This record gives sequence, C-alpha cells and structure tokens, in this order.
Amino acid sequence: MTGITAYSTYIPRHRLPREVIASAWASRATPGAKAVANFDEDSLTMAQAAVWKLLPAAPDAIYFGSTSAPHWQRSSASLIAAFCNLPAETATADFAGSLRAGTTALRAALDYVTAGSSARAIVVGSDSRDGAPESAEEMIFGDAAAAIEVGNRNVIAELLAHVSRSDDFLDEWRRDADRYVTSLASKFSTTRGYEANAIAAGQALLKRASIAPENITRAALASLDGRSHLNVAKALGIPADRVEDSRLKEIGVTGAAMPLLLLAEALDRAQPGDVILCIGYGDGADGFLFRVTEEIAKLPRPLLAPGSVLPHSSYPIYRKLREFLREDTTGPELSNVLWERQESQNVRLHGTFCPLCGTLQFPIAPICQNCHNRDGLVEKPLQRRGQLFTFNKDYLYDSPAPPTVNAVVDLEGGGRLLCQMTDVDESKVEIGMSVELVLRRMRGAASMHHYYWKCRPIG
Amino acid sequence: MGQSIKDKVAVIGVGCTKFGDRFDQSYEDLAVEAAFAAFGDAGIGPERVEAAWLGTYSPYGGNGKASVALADSLRLYGKPITRVENFCATGTDAFRNACMAVASGVYDVALVLGVEKLKDRPTRGIAREGVHPYQGDGVTAPGMFAMSANRYFHRFGGGRETLAKVAVKNHSNGALNPRAHLQINVTEEQVLKAPIISYPFGLYDCCPTTDGAAAAVICRADMARDFRDDYVLVKGLGMAVTSGRPWFDACYEGVGFASTRAAAAEAYRMAGIENPVKEVKLAEVHDCFTWTEISNYEDLGFCEKGQGIHFIGEGRSALSGDLPVNPSGGLKSFGHPIGASGVRMIYEVVTQLREQAGPRQVKNADIGLAHNLGGPGAVACVVVLGQQ
Repeated sequence: MTGITAYSTYIPRHRLPREVIASAWASRATPGAKAVANFDEDSLTMAQAAVWKLLPAAPDAIYFGSTSAPHWQRSSASLIAAFCNLPAETATADFAGSLRAGTTALRAALDYVTAGSSARAIVVGSDSRDGAPESAEEMIFGDAAAAIEVGNRNVIAELLAHVSRSDDFLDEWRRDADRYVTSLASKFSTTRGYEANAIAAGQALLKRASIAPENITRAALASLDGRSHLNVAKALGIPADRVEDSRLKEIGVTGAAMPLLLLAEALDRAQPGDVILCIGYGDGADGFLFRVTEEIAKLPRPLLAPGSVLPHSSYPIYRKLREFLREDTTGPELSNVLWERQESQNVRLHGTFCPLCGTLQFPIAPICQNCHNRDGLVEKPLQRRGQLFTFNKDYLYDSPAPPTVNAVVDLEGGGRLLCQMTDVDESKVEIGMSVELVLRRMRGAASMHHYYWKCRPIG
Repeated sequence: MGQSIKDKVAVIGVGCTKFGDRFDQSYEDLAVEAAFAAFGDAGIGPERVEAAWLGTYSPYGGNGKASVALADSLRLYGKPITRVENFCATGTDAFRNACMAVASGVYDVALVLGVEKLKDRPTRGIAREGVHPYQGDGVTAPGMFAMSANRYFHRFGGGRETLAKVAVKNHSNGALNPRAHLQINVTEEQVLKAPIISYPFGLYDCCPTTDGAAAAVICRADMARDFRDDYVLVKGLGMAVTSGRPWFDACYEGVGFASTRAAAAEAYRMAGIENPVKEVKLAEVHDCFTWTEISNYEDLGFCEKGQGIHFIGEGRSALSGDLPVNPSGGLKSFGHPIGASGVRMIYEVVTQLREQAGPRQVKNADIGLAHNLGGPGAVACVVVLGQQ
C-alpha cells in the first residue's frame, strides 16, 4: 500500500495584518493577516523546519518543491538533507517552475514508492513569494512550508488515484530576472485557468477512482484567491462544508506549499475512512485522492497546533525586512575548504563527545574542553533544544531588526553554544526560558548565501 | 615556580597624548607625541633606546601592522622592535614583554609604545576581526560583556542602577583629567536615561571610541638612578589566558574572569602582596563597560565574588575611598584606543606614585596596579608598580 505516513507544516511566526498594508497605500484591506517570513527566513529554512518535525524517522529521499528557492543552481533538497543530518545516500531533488512544484514532487514521490525505488520519502512544499508593493498579490501572498511523508508502511492515508494535466495558461508568472510575480488576475483567468484545470483534474480523479463526489469527505483545494476553490467544489458536486478552509485570513496564498499545507490540515482532522481530495494548480493541475486508514488513530493529533505569533505594526519595517536578505552583502565569502571541513559542525550540528568524562561540547575540538583528554573523542549530533543561560539585547550590531538578541544556550543532552535569538518579543527574554535551535539565513556575501543556527522560544 | 620580576626593572619615563577625536593627527603623529614625551620625561633621546615593543590591536590604513609602524614613526631604525597584539590587553602585554627582556639583562633601556587610531575608521566601534564566520556572529564588544552582566544580575542581584554608579564615579574622576577624552560629570539619572547600546548597557555604560597613544621608558633597576631619583619600580607582572570561546563551555559561570584572577595571583605573588585591598593604594582597571569594573573588584581580590555591587555602592572605589579605582577616569573617560590603553594606565599609576596627579592625586600612593582585560575576558594582564 502506497500512501501518506506523516505530515507537518511550518508557518512563520510573523504576521502582517492586511490593515497595515492597506493603510500604507490608502487602499482597502483584504480581511485578516498573512504569515510572513522573518528577515532571516526563506523557502529553504522554512522547508527545513517542516522536514525536521518529521525526524528522527529516517527518510531515504527529500523532494523540495518551490517557486522561490534561494538558488537557481544549488539543490535546496540537498541542503535540507544536510541540515537535517541525513546521510549522503539520501536521494534529493528540487521541483520548481510552477505553483504545482509541491504537488508534482508529491506525485513523483508516490510513484517512486509504488515502483519500489523509495520506501520513505519526504516531500516538502515551501514558498516565500513577493507581490509588487501595492499590488493585489502583496495583499494575499503568504509564506509557509508543508511536508508530507510518503511510504508503504504505517500508511495513514492510502493513495487511491492521482492525475496530472498540463496547460500553458497565461495567468501568473515570474521570469528568471523578475523580483515580483506578474499576474493577470481576472474573471477570465480564474474561470479559464484555475477553475477549468482544477475541475478537469477533479473529474478525472473521480472517474479513475470510481468514486462519487458525495463520498469525498474532505477537499484540500489550493486556490489563487482564497475564494474560487469553492466554485471548483461546487462544479465537482462536493458540498462547501467539506472543503478545507483556504487559510487566506490567517496565512495567505502560499504558492507551492498551499496544496500540501491544506492536505496536512485535512489529515490533522481526518477520521479513518475519510476520502480526501487534494488539488494543486499552476500551468495545469495535479490531483490526488487518499483514503484515511485506521493507522491515523495512532498519531497524537492534532499535530498542527497554532503557535505564538508576532504581528507587524509597521509596513515600512516589514518592507525593510523583506528587502534585507536580497540586498545584504556584508557577510563573509567562505572558501569551500572551510565549508567542507566544518560541514559536520556548522551544517549537521555535530559536537565532540568525550568518552572519558562524558562531556558533549561544541564546536568540534581535538582536546576535551572539560577533562583535556585527547583519546577516543567522537563526533556526535547535538540536540536542538535547550535552556537560555544568558543573553543580551544589542543595538550596535548591524541588524535590520534591532535589538539583536544574543543567546547562550545549554542544550538538552549536553553542549553549550552562543547564537542569535530570533522570532522573539525581546521584552520576554529571560534566563531559563526554553528554546529550540532553528536554521536561518545569516548575513549574505556578494556571491553566496549563508545559513546557520539561531535559537527561538519554544511554542 | 620561576623567579619574581620584583625590583628588577624601573620605569624612568612616561608620556601620554591627549585622548580623544584626534582627527587632525595621524597614527605617526600620536606615536611621536607619546614617545617623545616619555623620552623627555626620562631625559633621554631616542638613540638611547636599545629595543622597543609596539602595542597596536587593529592596524588601519597601513599603520600598526608590524614593527615598522614604530620604526618609521620614530625613525628608529636598526634596532629590535616587536609588535604585540593580545586583544584589549595589548598595551600591558607589550609592557610586560619589554620588562621581561630588560629583566633578563639583554637590554638596559627599552621603549614601550601603545598607539591606536580608531577614529580614522569609517565604522562605529570596533569590527570583529579574525573570528569564525558564524560562531558568535551578532556579538559586539559591549554585547559580549552584557551577557555576563545579565548573568551576574541573575545570580547576585543589582541592575542598571548599580552600573550607573560606576559611570558617575569614573566620569567624575575624568572631569579632573586634562588628557581624558570625556571631561564631563554625569548624574545617575543621565546614565539611566541614555539610549541602550547592548542591554543592560546604555551609552554611559560603554567607553567611547577614541584615538590615543602612551609610552613608557624602562631600564634595569640598578641603573635607574642614572636617569632620575623618583623612578618607579616594577613589583609584579601577571598574565593569563583562558578560552576565547567562553560561551561554548557549559562549566563557565559567566560572572567574572578567571584570567584576571590568575594574572592577579601571579602579580601579587611576585610583589609579595597578601591583602590587595589593603596593600594596593590605587588601581587602574579595565572598565571597558561599567559592569566589567564591578567584576574586576572581585577578580582582583578587592572583595568576594558577588560583593562588587557593594564595593561600588559603599564608595570604596571612589577617589575618596579606601581603594580608589580608576582615579584617571578610566576607559570610561579616556576611551579605549586599544593598544594605548594599558600603557596609558601605566602612565597614570606612575604619575600617582610620583605624586604628580594634581587634583586627582591619591593619598599615600606607594603601590599601584594596572589591569587590562582582553577579548571575551580571555586575556588578562596585571602590572603592580611601586615606589622604591
């Protein structure tokens, strides 16, 4: 049996209330707020966070789908595998070029498992797209990642059928050098592009699986506007109350992540026997039908508890943070020699374990920090949670969002490290608080992106 | 256990520039100003110098990178010159190395010169140099000590009000010193209301960024009287290095500096000091940030760990207290042109021991101490000087 074995989502903590955008441009606000990446997040870091939630179960493949990958040439999936400390034997691939990147990666992973070339693959859809300032896209685009693990054991939702269709319909695109998405949003685009493709995919699926629309209990339908997916459901004969909320009000339209995010949310509420329809749109459509199994009852659900949020109150500050990573070139240019030699330390977050005194320490060193023993020291991964030993709140460091909170963290299982704290209300920083280590973009160099670890409050 | 340096080396001349925004002077100008003031004080010409040590932390614009920066400034060619860099303890470590060479008997007369031209740079404060590209990214000089201060408050109490007392005291002393960068008096209220630089430090908790130079001429003690009668003797030297990555060590308590404790123990042993709070009559200590001075009281053995808040609170380190600390005004008033600071402290201690400090003169000053602390508290150097 091929199907879904686990799921997770990653929603950035920062929210931009749409009223804040509207007041900046003296325009009308779409209701609600959108989830926005912090200045140190991108589609890669969000995806890594979503994948990390599904570990330590060891996948044999990581497939990354996005239209906003930080590199044209350098595999995000390979980076995610390394930052998740997965072995070199992990198969990796990046899917891109379409809002269907997430669902296309899911389709590929399901087929690999069915074919027997993969036993457990994690598919992660992630996007952090930009609409032009003052555009409708700026109002509705949100940032998020969602990961779906597929396999053939302990399946919580069995694949019944999938379909894919291609349609070079001109409604939304971004050229190689474009910063912002260009959109021809209109009634024509919605009906001829989105609705026509989604409906066709849905009808093909129902036919292929010989399932009547009234048997669909949950429909996870990606949407370009947070509304027209209801027209698709209606056309397919699925009652509106079985359609997953598009999350336009709380998160936004999240690109390649959106169909996987809605699928994960459907799974988080599903009962054994539910039939879930999932459709992703973009240059055609991908559709999936899953039947939820008894196995889902073993999961400690809900898994997707909403976390704390940090609302922006200023559009200029939001805009400054949004620009920061693209414009900053004040970081170091590293040699690949240094990068490679310290890969297990900086990327995989390994420390040194001393077998004589039992001290786990960071960074990697040839002599034990505690007992000065040199014999038998081994590399060991650090745990990525801990408590705050001390901190500062620094206004001198050149940051787009001062103060920079520096944190000294005592990790569970041993090891202490100094790093920046992120996603935090600085007035709530206190010694002893619980934090988790998270992967973040550091200051960029002229020719390279830097990724390293920060910590943030848990919850 | 090695021998003691006690009474083997004498300071026969000191010089110090005005510290401040020396926009119109170059690195070489400051080096010449300080060195020739020291030569004049010792009554010698540069040709009398047999070897020299230059303290510069951070070369900029071609100045201070190596020995040639001293050679070309002073036109002192054909002699052994060594550039010393050891974080913020650069100045005292240059002095220490010169003392070791003279004590060995290899050289009779040596020059120590500390110069730093921080204000030639386009940036604020001091850039982090030669550090790991990721580990500790985000940490600034005040930020490093701010983490200790927050841990210290968590453990022993105290807060920004305690820190403000140090700023008020040191600015009050600096207001009496014509060579200080900032010659101002501040109130606790002003200190507390200043903008935060790195919490818990506000603007007045941080030393300014400054240009300056200072110099000392030393010689074998047994020939010091050939130069002057009121020479000062080196009584003890201590230096210790601890980890440059203290925040990666789970055993580090984060409330003080073992480097200072070890350096002080060594210097006190050499000087024969058993009860520093009684025997040391004045101390120039490394108050890069106000909290650092509080920790220094403890690490130098003036009081127990955790009691520094009371040492300042009870006025014991004031000019009128039983152990005046930073009578010069400290880094707080002088700023911290890094390589110059330690030598500038020695200038102050010598001036006090010679009873030439004017309105800031400490009474009965027969033993004085200079203390530098570098990096994240990883490098400490303690110099004890005394009257004959």
